[in-house]
Amino acid sequence: MSESGIVIKDLRVDYGDFVAVNDISLTIPSGVVYGLVGPNGAGKTSTFKVLTTLMEPTYGEVNVAGFDIFESAEEARRVMAYMPDLAPVPSDLKLWEFLDFHADTHRLGRASDRRERLDECLKIVNLYDKRSAWCKELSRGQTQRLVLAKTLLHRPKVLILDEPASGLDPLSRREMRIALQALAADGATVVVSSHILSELAEMCSSLCVMNQGELLASGTAEEVRRALGRAERNLSVMTSGDSEKVKAWLEGWIGVSELKVDGSRVGFQFLGGEEEQERLLIELVNAGLKIRSFEEESSSFEEILVRVAEGNREV
Amino acid sequence: MRDRKKLKLLPAWMIWANPILKRYARSRLRPASFGVALLMTILVAGFFFFLARETTARSIQNPIDVGRMPLIPLLILQGLILFGLGTGQAAAGITTEADEGVIDYQRLAPMTPFTKVLGYLFGLPIREWILCLATLPFTGYSIWKGQVPLNGVLQLYAVFFMAAILYHLTGLLAGSVMKNRRWAFLTSTGLVMVLYLIIPQAAKFGLVYLKYVTIYPVFNEVYPSLIPRPLGDAAEVFNTIIPPAKFFGLNFPQYVFTLISQGVLSLAMVMMLWRRWRKADCHLLGKFAATGLFGWLQMMLLGNALPLMNSGDLFPSRELDRRFGRLINPDIQFWSPKTWEATVMIGIYGLVTLASLWWLTFIISADQHGQVRGWRRARKLGNLKLPLLSDGATSVPWALTMSVMGAVGWFIFGRELIDSHWYPELSLLTVTPVAMFSILACGGLGMAALLESVGRKVTGLVVILGGILPVMLGVILAVSSDDFVALAVWLAGICPVSWPIYGSGVFLSEEGMPRDVARAIPNAFWFWQGVGAILTVWLLKKLRSARKKISDSSKEF
Repeated sequence: MSESGIVIKDLRVDYGDFVAVNDISLTIPSGVVYGLVGPNGAGKTSTFKVLTTLMEPTYGEVNVAGFDIFESAEEARRVMAYMPDLAPVPSDLKLWEFLDFHADTHRLGRASDRRERLDECLKIVNLYDKRSAWCKELSRGQTQRLVLAKTLLHRPKVLILDEPASGLDPLSRREMRIALQALAADGATVVVSSHILSELAEMCSSLCVMNQGELLASGTAEEVRRALGRAERNLSVMTSGDSEKVKAWLEGWIGVSELKVDGSRVGFQFLGGEEEQERLLIELVNAGLKIRSFEEESSSFEEILVRVAEGNREV
Repeated sequence: MRDRKKLKLLPAWMIWANPILKRYARSRLRPASFGVALLMTILVAGFFFFLARETTARSIQNPIDVGRMPLIPLLILQGLILFGLGTGQAAAGITTEADEGVIDYQRLAPMTPFTKVLGYLFGLPIREWILCLATLPFTGYSIWKGQVPLNGVLQLYAVFFMAAILYHLTGLLAGSVMKNRRWAFLTSTGLVMVLYLIIPQAAKFGLVYLKYVTIYPVFNEVYPSLIPRPLGDAAEVFNTIIPPAKFFGLNFPQYVFTLISQGVLSLAMVMMLWRRWRKADCHLLGKFAATGLFGWLQMMLLGNALPLMNSGDLFPSRELDRRFGRLINPDIQFWSPKTWEATVMIGIYGLVTLASLWWLTFIISADQHGQVRGWRRARKLGNLKLPLLSDGATSVPWALTMSVMGAVGWFIFGRELIDSHWYPELSLLTVTPVAMFSILACGGLGMAALLESVGRKVTGLVVILGGILPVMLGVILAVSSDDFVALAVWLAGICPVSWPIYGSGVFLSEEGMPRDVARAIPNAFWFWQGVGAILTVWLLKKLRSARKKISDSSKEF
């Protein structure tokens, strides 16, 4: 991590009386994949639209890759890429023409250089075979991948992706995750919003949670979980021995609650950090309980957001 | 954090390298679809070319005259392609981009807003430009064979292409504000039709400037050389008495004045589009620019009309008299304008002024959302007031300024018309300037107050209920029975559109109207003016308290 990829200060977006984004300040370092999480109406898309210069905020300061986006919008656009939710494509262009047009707007050298780069990007998203197909003929997932290729074309320093994984099959998701992490490793800042939270937690080095325009917490997934008061993790143990024995052993452990046995699986909630979790595993194994697997269920993180969203409804 | 380096962007003038132009050249000039369109165009142009030549070749033996015959049919075909289809394509194309959602990609493209405007301007209708160019060889051949003076043809085509750019810009603007691509296409092509069928009629009633947004003035000057010589020579006789483009004390060649007029309007439209590309949610024009444009329109309307008053060339009956007067009535030796012409011309001048005032007020008025945003931003920056020129600031002072400018222009037009030697027995009422200001102020300020306090949708509803419905009911009543005519006058008088027309009747006390109408018009005018003034003051008070509420609520920021 070196300099700041994105710096947001006192950002506010209003739609009449509705406050979409309420005075948030955030610094996203370069070289990371950063997640923006929150229920519908949290203010994620409004924040993205401001970051990408598509919308003027009520007030606030935003710097992207060192450029003040209000003072130097064109310069900021040169180094950023945006993939909107339900990424649209024009109906009257072929895949390579669509990419060539965007490569041209970014002035990526001569036609031959551009063609080389766009072939490279089409190969990354596995669409090279379809380079001469019409954009309108693509499936939803293929369209997402095409727009992802477009965002990669000019090797942006900042990528902003709104729900990029929606519509992708598991293999494509994995490939996208690898591609984005590789970009971050090269020093780019990647900001992603998603409702597939388990995946986001897997992909992102850090994230923030937004709700009703407010920034509730930011940091690593663990820090966010703690900040939102949900210290318990949902853990499960698979045993090849007696699951009742495992249950009885766990009952005596401090921080363990809500134990449930389902065949050879024992599920429970655990209150403690990563170190305590590691110690618990070592003790379980040392106790000779024939542990086959030990894992944290991703739903624990989703539950946080479910609670946040339910809190909105109660209000 | 400081910007690290400035980016070298594609210069706007390098139109051939414009990625948006190239993108549309690629999609709209595909051999399969473009080839068919090109073939059809050449076939139609060829058909007109040979039809015009061969039909005249039978009756006219001279090859020069035969050579000239296809020129006007070809010009009409070129106009249909470039003005009609091209404008519709510009409007529908930009709406399609917004509809598909890909316009955001173009917003994010690192190009200047001006480069983007030029890319769309020449890119979206690129097929129509090329189809039009494909017909030019027929035109060129006809010019050569018909020995048409090149000077006139060049003037005509310079204005023709300038007009095409103006209409395409109109299409782009219509497409930028409309959501449905079919409506955008129909509206913009409809606008071009209005421009060629209705606007020239208004130009005959004193608004001479309006004809300079078409190619008519230059066409009228040039067309004798585009038709067979015997007919052309006769037309030339009429043309010698057609006045040149007069602007206050200056005389301009028709093509120069047309190019200037259309060029300035094109610049205004480019400015609107440039603002939209810079910030998607900003007003089409800034407050100062809108007021400036209003002033420019007033200056042009007056500048073209005043020099033609004393010569009589401004009056609609003068042109008729010149062309057909002696044929209709050989006994009439001297032409003189009628009183009704002055009444109608003053009324139409006021109506067009009011319409342009409404249009510009609509553009510069912020809805409540815009006001809230403006106030909150101002508070955050530590300002106690909104900057006067910001989008969120009230448009009331600017609507007032435009009302004053409009009233001055309207009064000058009316006074000069009545003070000309044609109407020695007529005079304007003393109260005329005040009434003119009242009509425009009630209309302009009322519109501004409505837009800012209740928003565009409710304003639209008020316009329908208060502006359209009474006129429709009035018309139905008037045609249903003579007994209801006075009632119809009262009912239609509710509508602010009728105020300039009623007003001009009142200022001049037009004689010759039916007695009950003559009595109803002044009464209805003054009554509804009073009601309008009270309503406007009430709306302004309501707006003031609404804005104060917004201002107070934003203090916490």
